[in-house]
Amino acid sequence: MIEFILDVWKSNPGGDAVVWRDRVYDYGTLLRLFEAWKARLPELGAKPGRVVVLDADFSPNAVALFFALIDQRCILVPLSTTTSRDKRAQFIRIAAGEIAISIDASDEVTAEPAGAGDERPLYDTLRERQHPGLVLFSSGSTGESKAAVHDFVPLLEKFKVRRKTLRAISFLLYDHIGGVNTMLYTLANGGCLVTVERRDPDSVLAAVTAHRVELLPTSPTFLNLMLLSEAYKRHDLSSLRIITYGTEPMPEHTLKRLHALLPEIALQQTYGLSELGILQSKSREPDSLWVKVGGQGFETRVVDGVLHVKARSSMLGYLNAPSPFTDDGWFNTNDVVEVDGEYVRILGRQSDIINVGGEKVYPAEVESVIQELDEIAEATVYGEKNAITGNIVCADVTAVSRLDDSSQKELIALVKRHCREKLQKFKVPVRVNVVSEQQHTERFKKSRR
Amino acid sequence: MADQERVQQAVYRAVDELNKQLPKGISVNKSPDAVLYGKTGKLESIDVVTLIMEVEDQIKAEFGTSITIADDRAMSRENSPFLTVGTLTDYVAELLN
Repeated sequence: MIEFILDVWKSNPGGDAVVWRDRVYDYGTLLRLFEAWKARLPELGAKPGRVVVLDADFSPNAVALFFALIDQRCILVPLSTTTSRDKRAQFIRIAAGEIAISIDASDEVTAEPAGAGDERPLYDTLRERQHPGLVLFSSGSTGESKAAVHDFVPLLEKFKVRRKTLRAISFLLYDHIGGVNTMLYTLANGGCLVTVERRDPDSVLAAVTAHRVELLPTSPTFLNLMLLSEAYKRHDLSSLRIITYGTEPMPEHTLKRLHALLPEIALQQTYGLSELGILQSKSREPDSLWVKVGGQGFETRVVDGVLHVKARSSMLGYLNAPSPFTDDGWFNTNDVVEVDGEYVRILGRQSDIINVGGEKVYPAEVESVIQELDEIAEATVYGEKNAITGNIVCADVTAVSRLDDSSQKELIALVKRHCREKLQKFKVPVRVNVVSEQQHTERFKKSRR
Repeated sequence: MADQERVQQAVYRAVDELNKQLPKGISVNKSPDAVLYGKTGKLESIDVVTLIMEVEDQIKAEFGTSITIADDRAMSRENSPFLTVGTLTDYVAELLN
């Protein structure tokens, strides 16, 4: 199952594998931890086909356990340590978890029964194939999170081709397809996974300097905050070769500024979904939002302006929702795109589009214009129902510094004026609120309403 | 009982705010007869929406009361409240009472 990965580890026992709490663990150590878990799993009840909930971050022990569970052909339900208690109970119920293994901050392990292991027909498919599985929860901004069930074998397939060995930050957690992808990529290619405890720009960039990181996978929100805080000036980024960004639309302004400030670093957009895995992607230019997505095992098409993907690594289906695939296996991503030859430009989620009197407004475009202003730290644009135009455009903005009431009014006027200069009238926010709280999640993704 | 005069002044202040946001050459007069969204109106629907937001803000500042001007009730009235500055003022006063 994962012999090809273990071979990489065995060939390089002294090489750096994981940096955790600023300590470096080599591949020899990771292998020993892996073997120890392999021996221990049966006594914990983690037999092939069992559903194992894993609560942990990226400690070497947790990473080794992750691979041991794949090797054991278990069905993995990775939760991150930031998952709330309520969510955790809900996720275990949806996933019909049988055993819960937790590894806490001091690397202490607890294993306990999680539930009765109710029937889930999709799991039977995995058991018949004798394949390990992976259950990932979509962020689910509205309603219950959807649980995507993957067969791990096709997900692992693309890592059999050896690629660049890189030292990479684990920015996303491993309950996220992007986090799993970074971990698999890095460790299947003999690279080093540099874990961080905090995800604010200074902490992450300090880790880049300390551990000579080459690949920094991030989100547009993180990059925007990195620019605003000028954190890039305070750290030595000479080791950094590639910054990737994904999970939400990138404001064009942020991208162009980033490229102007860090011209030596390749900026690469990534594209993936919990349901599909991560596609290969290539940005047209470092400062361009046009990107070619696909690669081996992926087909793409655009239907009525919306991107559809057919992937060999597609999930089997959802545990708690009907299959979203067409009969011939296409998945509607709900991402609205513009097309130019082989390249696409992602405008935003179909559900985020604001319809103002029949005209479409993409929040990302308006946010990018607002963020051109030096006075603005963050901006989130959303629609609000309106009896006259159906919806109106609203914006929540955070100022770079604290403001009194009258300066707030001036800022609101400035935002509107700037938008009127740069945007068509129907795109200009009618209501602008100055908010003081941060507008992103712990994972540095914009919080949308 | 909301003072009609105070309502009118609040609406006029909102008109000032709107005028600052309109393109050159287009403005709304501060008079009850000034047309908003009627046959001879120069405003686009989004301008009317903007004016309504400004009026709501001014009313909040003047009376401390939050009102929603544009809703189904307003839209389904036989006589549209959005024809002129005067009809809008009357409608706002009605809402406040």
